[in-house]
Amino acid sequence: MINLVRNEMLKLLRKKRLYVIILIIAFLVPLFTYAQFKEIQEQREKMGNQDWRTVLQQEITDTQNRLSSSRIQDEWRKYLKIRLSQQQYYLENDIDPRAPGAPTFMRIFVENSIDLLLPLLVMVIVADLVSSEASGGTIKLLLTRPVKRWRILLSKYIAMLMSVSFIVLSVAVLSYVISGLVFGYGGWNMPLLTGFAVSGDELLTDRVHIVPQWQYILMEFGLVWYVSVIVGTLTFMLSVLLRSTAAVMGIMLASLIAGAILVNMVSSWESAKYFFMVNLNLTNYVSGMATPIEGMSLGFSMAVLAVWGLAGFIIAFVTFSKRDIY
Amino acid sequence: MKKYTLTIVSAVSIAATLLWLFGLGWTLQDQFTANEKFQKQKEKTESATSKKEDGNLTIFALGDSLTRGTGDADGKGYVGYLSERLKKKSEQDITLFNTAIKGETSRGLLKQLRQSEIQRQVKQADVIMMTIGGNDLFQQGKVLESLDKNAINGKKQIYLRNIKNIYKQLRELNQDAVIYHVGLYNPFSNLQDAKTTSSIVRDWNFQTAETAAQFNNIVYVPTFDLFQLQVENYLYSDQFHLNTEGYKLIAERVASLVHFEQEEKNDE
Repeated sequence: MINLVRNEMLKLLRKKRLYVIILIIAFLVPLFTYAQFKEIQEQREKMGNQDWRTVLQQEITDTQNRLSSSRIQDEWRKYLKIRLSQQQYYLENDIDPRAPGAPTFMRIFVENSIDLLLPLLVMVIVADLVSSEASGGTIKLLLTRPVKRWRILLSKYIAMLMSVSFIVLSVAVLSYVISGLVFGYGGWNMPLLTGFAVSGDELLTDRVHIVPQWQYILMEFGLVWYVSVIVGTLTFMLSVLLRSTAAVMGIMLASLIAGAILVNMVSSWESAKYFFMVNLNLTNYVSGMATPIEGMSLGFSMAVLAVWGLAGFIIAFVTFSKRDIY
Repeated sequence: MKKYTLTIVSAVSIAATLLWLFGLGWTLQDQFTANEKFQKQKEKTESATSKKEDGNLTIFALGDSLTRGTGDADGKGYVGYLSERLKKKSEQDITLFNTAIKGETSRGLLKQLRQSEIQRQVKQADVIMMTIGGNDLFQQGKVLESLDKNAINGKKQIYLRNIKNIYKQLRELNQDAVIYHVGLYNPFSNLQDAKTTSSIVRDWNFQTAETAAQFNNIVYVPTFDLFQLQVENYLYSDQFHLNTEGYKLIAERVASLVHFEQEEKNDE
C-alpha cells in the first residue's frame, strides 16, 4: 500500500502541479500584502496617527449611520448589524482584531480564500488524478497489476489528501513569510474573540471567549483543510466518473462559483442550505459573521459537507471497482 | 535528487495532515464544548487612557444628522467646514472625531455616551460640538401634523431631562473643553402654521439654553435667526436638513466663537 501511495505521489510530483500551485500562491500573497499595506497607509493618512480604537469607533459610527438610512436592503442590514455589535464587543474588551502583523494577515487571507481560492487550487491538483489515467490509457497498465482496484483508488485518494495538506501548508507558510516582510512577524499571542453565535440579526455573546491568535489560526486552518478535503473528494469523484479532465474542472468550477454567487442571494430560499457550496465558509462561524441562510451553524455546515464528501467517496469507489475498462 | 524530493514532500504532507487534523479537532472542541465565559479585562492598556497631544486641537462632535452633515453635498456638515476654518485661522492641526448618527435622539445620545470608547474620546477633546433635539421634536416632520401642545410638552420634558444628563455626563468626563451646543432652526418657517412651529422651536431653544446655563462652559449657539428668513434657500431637497450653504452659515457662526477661545488658550 505504501508503495502504491509512493507511486502516486511520484506521479503528482512529476506533473509539477504542486510547484505551479506554490507559484500561484507566492504570486498572490504579495499582491494581497500590498493591498493590505495600502489600506493601512491610507487609513493612517486619513485619520492621522490614530489609535486603533478611534479608527474602529469611526467605523462603528459610519455603520450606524448607514443603518439609520431607510433605503437599505434587509440582507445587508443584518450583516451590518451583526458586524457592528461585534466591533462594539471588541472595543469594549479593548481588543484590536486587526492589529497588523503577519499572523493577522494569515488569518484574514485564509478567511477570505476558504470559499473560492483554496478550493480552486485543490481542484487543479485533483481534477486529473484519475481522469488523466483514463484519457491517457495508462489506467489499463495500472489495473493489470495484481492489486485490488479499491486499493489503487485508495492510494490515489491518500495522495490527494496529502497534497491537500501540502497546499494548505504552503498557503500558511508563504502567507506568513511573505507578509512578514512588510508587517513584521510578531503577534502570535494577540487575543481574539470567538464563540459568537448569530440568531436572526442579533449577535449572541454569552459563549464568547478569548483565544490567542496562534490557536485561532490553527483552528481556522483546520477548517480550511476540512473544506479543502471535501472539495477534493468531490473533485475526485468527478474525476472517476468522467474521462475528460476539462469536464471535471468545468463542473467543479461552475459549482464553486455558483456557490459564491448563491451565498449572496439565497437568504429566502431555505433549502439551499443543503448545497455543499453555500456551506464552504466555515471560518465565518469562528469569527462570528452573519450566516447566508437562517439556521446555519458550524455543526450544520460541517455535517452537510461531511454527507456530501462521504457520498462522493462512496460513489467514487463503487464506480471505480465496478466499471468496465476497455 | 528526485527521490529526496519525494520523501521530503511526502513527509511534510503527512506532518501537515496531522497538524490540520489537530487544528480541526481543536476547533470542534473549542466551538462545541461549553467554555467558561472569560473575565472582562478590567485594566485597560496604556493607550486606552486619555492623553492629550499638545499643539493639536481636537474637536469631538456628537449628535444627530446635522452634525453628521446630512444634506451637504460634500458630506462635511458644519463640523467639517468649521474645522477647515479653524485650521486656517489657528494654523494648528485639527483632529476631528465625528460620532454623530443620523436620526439620533437625546435618549440615543445618552446611551451612546455610555460606550467606553466614546468616553475616551470625550476626555481627549479640546472642543465639543453637538446638535441634538431635532429628532426629539420633529420626528421626521410628524409633529407638524399634530400641533398638540400637550404631546409636545411631554416630549419636551423628556428631552430636557435627557439633555441635562448629557451635559452632566460630558462635564464629568471633561471639565475643560468648551461645549458648543448648536441650536435648532425651524425648517418649516416658510410654511403655513409658521407662527405655531416657530414658537415651539423658540421655546425649545430657550429651555435648552436655560439648562445649558446651569453648567460651566456650555455655549448654546442659536441658529434660529440664521434661517428665520428665506429658509428655503438653505434647505436640502428633503425640506428638513440644511444644504451646503446652510451648514457654512452655522460653521461661520461657531468658528467666530471658537477662535476667541483658542486665542485665550494660546496667550496663557
